[in-house]
Amino acid sequence: MPDSPKQGPWPRTSHRWGWWRGHWRVARDALSFISRHTGTSLLVWLLVGIALALPASLMLLQTNLSRLGADWGGGRPSVSVYMELGALNAAELAAQLERRAEVQAVALTSQDEALAEFTAYTGLGDALTGLERNPLPASLRVTFAANAGADALEAVAASVRAAEGVADVVVERTWLERINAISRLASALGWVFGALFGVGAVLVTATTVRFAIDSQLDELKVMKLVGASEAQLRRPFLYFGALYGAGGGLVAAMLVSLGLIILEAPLLDLLGSFDQTLVLGGFDVAFVAALVGLGSALGMAGAVLAVRQRLAALDVM
Amino acid sequence: MGRIEFLNVYKRYPSGFEALRDLSVVFEEGSMTFLTGHSGAGKTTCLKLLLCLDNPTHGQILVNGVNVSRLSARRLPHYRQNLGAVFQDHKLLAARSVFDNVALPLRVSHMREREVRRRVSAALNRVGLLERESLPPMQLSTGEQQRVGIARAVVSRPKILLADEPTGNLDPELSQDIMALFQGFNEVGATVIVASHDRALIESLDNPVVELSHGMRVR
Repeated sequence: MPDSPKQGPWPRTSHRWGWWRGHWRVARDALSFISRHTGTSLLVWLLVGIALALPASLMLLQTNLSRLGADWGGGRPSVSVYMELGALNAAELAAQLERRAEVQAVALTSQDEALAEFTAYTGLGDALTGLERNPLPASLRVTFAANAGADALEAVAASVRAAEGVADVVVERTWLERINAISRLASALGWVFGALFGVGAVLVTATTVRFAIDSQLDELKVMKLVGASEAQLRRPFLYFGALYGAGGGLVAAMLVSLGLIILEAPLLDLLGSFDQTLVLGGFDVAFVAALVGLGSALGMAGAVLAVRQRLAALDVM
Repeated sequence: MGRIEFLNVYKRYPSGFEALRDLSVVFEEGSMTFLTGHSGAGKTTCLKLLLCLDNPTHGQILVNGVNVSRLSARRLPHYRQNLGAVFQDHKLLAARSVFDNVALPLRVSHMREREVRRRVSAALNRVGLLERESLPPMQLSTGEQQRVGIARAVVSRPKILLADEPTGNLDPELSQDIMALFQGFNEVGATVIVASHDRALIESLDNPVVELSHGMRVR
């Protein structure tokens, strides 16, 4: 007597294109359900959209700050070297530095040139004429190559400090460091908020799908009775979740776009005060597609959560 | 497919209630059998076990030699698609039309819409409700709703038809009409099991009877 058969004596009723036909019917029904419950659907889209918009904005901010950091101040950090008064080896030191691979250029300002610049900029040249000697030192401005890292910068600064006739070395990278720090902070916040709000989006969708399941319990019971598989019972709700999530992703894209429109002018004004320009980037078709895809995936995750809870204990009779 | 065997079947619920006790019975292929007994005798439990909505605590339920309580989750839907079931409360979907209610088993099995229409029309014609296919079931009388339930049960041409108190809310004349439908399906080869406590109806027909009392077979 067979106990656990692999094949039963009943035929499997399969039809050509049946699987696709089933998906098409479910997708159509899911769209119909969502359009019949407009208020709920709009609310879910808005909630999921807000949940996705904040981390997406932070990611976009991080992308633009990285670009800004790369272009800032001629593109790269620099080192100013101030020589001791009367030091005669400034030109020689400049030549040595120019030979280093990580150095792109060295601009030498002699004592006389420094005095001339000071006089020109301040108009206080007469105040210095009474002094016995020029009090302004010669200086070098060292600009680094694009591929020079922070370690190379520090190494060059250290070697210059140790050179004869050098009074002071100033590494001018404060703004760049700030921009990079803000960029890293934005990235970290993006991930943290992304995780938190992602969980929020999953829970919002799960709650909504749970209501949808409850409103269709009778239909699910009958479907189970007439031979629907677990996958068939789950499928409509996975579509709900995906549609709610995808709609939320679109709303998030609209919110981010709105934010960019509002922030663009004041941001460009701010950058203009530092002689910088920036074309805001990152908000493109790929970004919107990623938001919609992510929203869809989160929505489906919420639906899976709800379906597991509600369908596991479906009591038919 | 059509021979059904209950072999030493026990069903005890978590509350401790024993719905079936050492039930052994055979329903031959192509037969129409009444399953009768008082309320709580175990009739509905038998049908639930046959539909694999629950598992026996002990014993085997064989359908054409296959122990259906051991079917995998993957095979179970195919098994159910080959059963038809009719219930006292009809289990119709209020928000769907008569047509959509009857079409449900065919759509679950991914049948083409053209074929769905053909088969549903045939089933509704058989139960005399073809002209009411677009109405919601709640606009029909109780007897008509029961006929919609029967049309849904037979639309996929099952080899086994199970009915749980199908005439429970109907007057004697309508009950006879419903039974005539079941007999018609039985005549074309379906194994039919009708759970009913309507003694007058059962005795008016010349079909085998299995009587249960407190979960045990007494006839």
